[in-house]
Amino acid sequence: MKQWWWKFLAVGLVLIASIAALRTPLAPAVVHASEGALKPGPNTVTVLGYATRFTQESPRVFVENGGQFIAADQVEVLDDRRITARFLVPEGLREDMSDLLVSTTTQGTMRLFDAFYNPEKGSGALEGVTEGPPRTERTDFAFPNRNILYESIRNLHFHVPMWFTMMLLQTIALVFSISVLGSGNPLHDRGALAAVHVSLLFAGMGLLTGSLWARATWGGWWTSDAKLNGAAVTVLIYLAYLVLRGSVNDPAKRARLAAIYNVFAYVLMLLFIMALPRMTASLHPGSGGNPAFSQYDLDDSLRPVFYAAVLGWMGIGTWLLNLQYRLARIEIAHDHAHHR
Amino acid sequence: MTMRTTVRLFLLLVVLTAPSAAFAQGEPDWLVDTLYGSGKINTVVAVVSVILLGLALWLFRLDRRIARIEQRTK
Amino acid sequence: MRSEILHLLRLEVALDLRQRAAWGGMLLYVVSAVYVCHLTMKDALGTGTWNALFWIILLFAAFNALARSFLREDQGRQLYLYTLAHPRSVVLARALYNAVTMVVLSLLSLLFYALFLGNDALAQADLPQFITAVVLGGIGFAAVLTLIAALAARAGNGIGLMAILGFPIVLPMLLAVMRASQLALSGAAWAETGMYFLGIAALDVVTVALAWLLFPYLWRD
Repeated sequence: MKQWWWKFLAVGLVLIASIAALRTPLAPAVVHASEGALKPGPNTVTVLGYATRFTQESPRVFVENGGQFIAADQVEVLDDRRITARFLVPEGLREDMSDLLVSTTTQGTMRLFDAFYNPEKGSGALEGVTEGPPRTERTDFAFPNRNILYESIRNLHFHVPMWFTMMLLQTIALVFSISVLGSGNPLHDRGALAAVHVSLLFAGMGLLTGSLWARATWGGWWTSDAKLNGAAVTVLIYLAYLVLRGSVNDPAKRARLAAIYNVFAYVLMLLFIMALPRMTASLHPGSGGNPAFSQYDLDDSLRPVFYAAVLGWMGIGTWLLNLQYRLARIEIAHDHAHHR
Repeated sequence: MTMRTTVRLFLLLVVLTAPSAAFAQGEPDWLVDTLYGSGKINTVVAVVSVILLGLALWLFRLDRRIARIEQRTK
Repeated sequence: MRSEILHLLRLEVALDLRQRAAWGGMLLYVVSAVYVCHLTMKDALGTGTWNALFWIILLFAAFNALARSFLREDQGRQLYLYTLAHPRSVVLARALYNAVTMVVLSLLSLLFYALFLGNDALAQADLPQFITAVVLGGIGFAAVLTLIAALAARAGNGIGLMAILGFPIVLPMLLAVMRASQLALSGAAWAETGMYFLGIAALDVVTVALAWLLFPYLWRD
């Protein structure tokens, strides 16, 4: 039972994280405004909510531009998800983009970031500006709701742990490879190979799930993005590793050459992945000027669940590697017995 | 590319994609029915299925290797 | 150690002078590649495409040129080198020699490229910066591909395996130099491109250090 605890732990963590990922409700949010730009003068906007119950509230609607608030002078609730609001927009708003805010009594204040473009800029409005809605923090446990993500934010607990697990397995492969250079132990060579195999499985799952998710949010199966380029290079490197192994017949030589390539490629890949986001824009949170787990991406309350998912999947990956490694050991022992 | 332009670009992208995503306009029908369906929950279904299939694929591979050793030990 | 490297370098030069056809082959490769581009790209190229095409040609030229660096060895000469010098000296000398080769080759490529595909793109460029980028890129390719060439040669598989092993690893270098040279072409300030140059130089140092560390394991049989 002693060697089993971490496997139970991994499965438990994945189970808890998955249940949380699928069952946690989505926070109510404002997801769309019918107008893309606000011109000075009266503007009528239809606001679309998600998981909201506007009919049970008496919502107040605001536009925020550079810290200045404009309250809607006419608000009409159409149904639980739709409100029509009229704004008298003053001249001279100073920022490019305005946010839309809907303040409710029980669901707090919801904000649609950069809802409107402001075509005519000034140095700040002088009239028609009011106090903003009260800052209310939601205290319930919910996924944040973003207008391009909706329910698909739940993928966070499935897609991202794949990459973490892949990186862990590649690091294990690196350790095995360094050991091969030192000792020439054939078992460690097989361990490195097994770790690369399992890491490629997780890379494949990460790529496929990422591709699906990207199609649903960004509109393309593959986007030219720093993180995607990093992933592609990683997969190419480890496929090249397998090709290199396939082209050498002598086992001892194969082990050594593969280990050298693994160490060399791993270090350069690491530098690449660290440097790349600084060079290119990215759609992913946390890079290229995008906020990481802040603002609208992940509530603090959900962060432990996310880490549970990462740890759990790492455990599952290690378990798969453990099985492969033990199998390799049996194969080697078996080959030895036969040759004698 | 400076930070500022990057942020601008990102904002522009959000503005450009937000309306189309909200009502899934200009998307092919089969995608609206599948991937975008029910508040995009179907994307989650697809992602979870991919992971399960990946693990199943691994089980098959492992099964084959074990079978090969069993054959040899006989 | 330094005298050993110098000795090895002298040996490389002597060997190369003896096989002048190899240099001719490398140059002909670049000229043909540029000429093919000249024939296929009839219209004037935009700056971005001009830059990208140049680096792609240079990348392939680097693979072609550096594949020789360990493949030309026969078993006898290798044994001779092995008994004569420390493997770390061998790899340092080879990396140094490859870097010089690549600098010459990339400058010549630039010359032919500008000759055949027009130099409109260079009109607004900060030329010293662009040439720095080209030289650093050439050295970078040499640094990364030296160990890869040795690996491919030891695996008993020629330029095909080298391309498979080398492409994903050389990509960071390629992206960095392309971006730096793009900045240089648009006439950016030294302060901006300088960051890239420093980064590329650091990458070169790390790469050579890794090759220096790993080469003895490759060498021994």
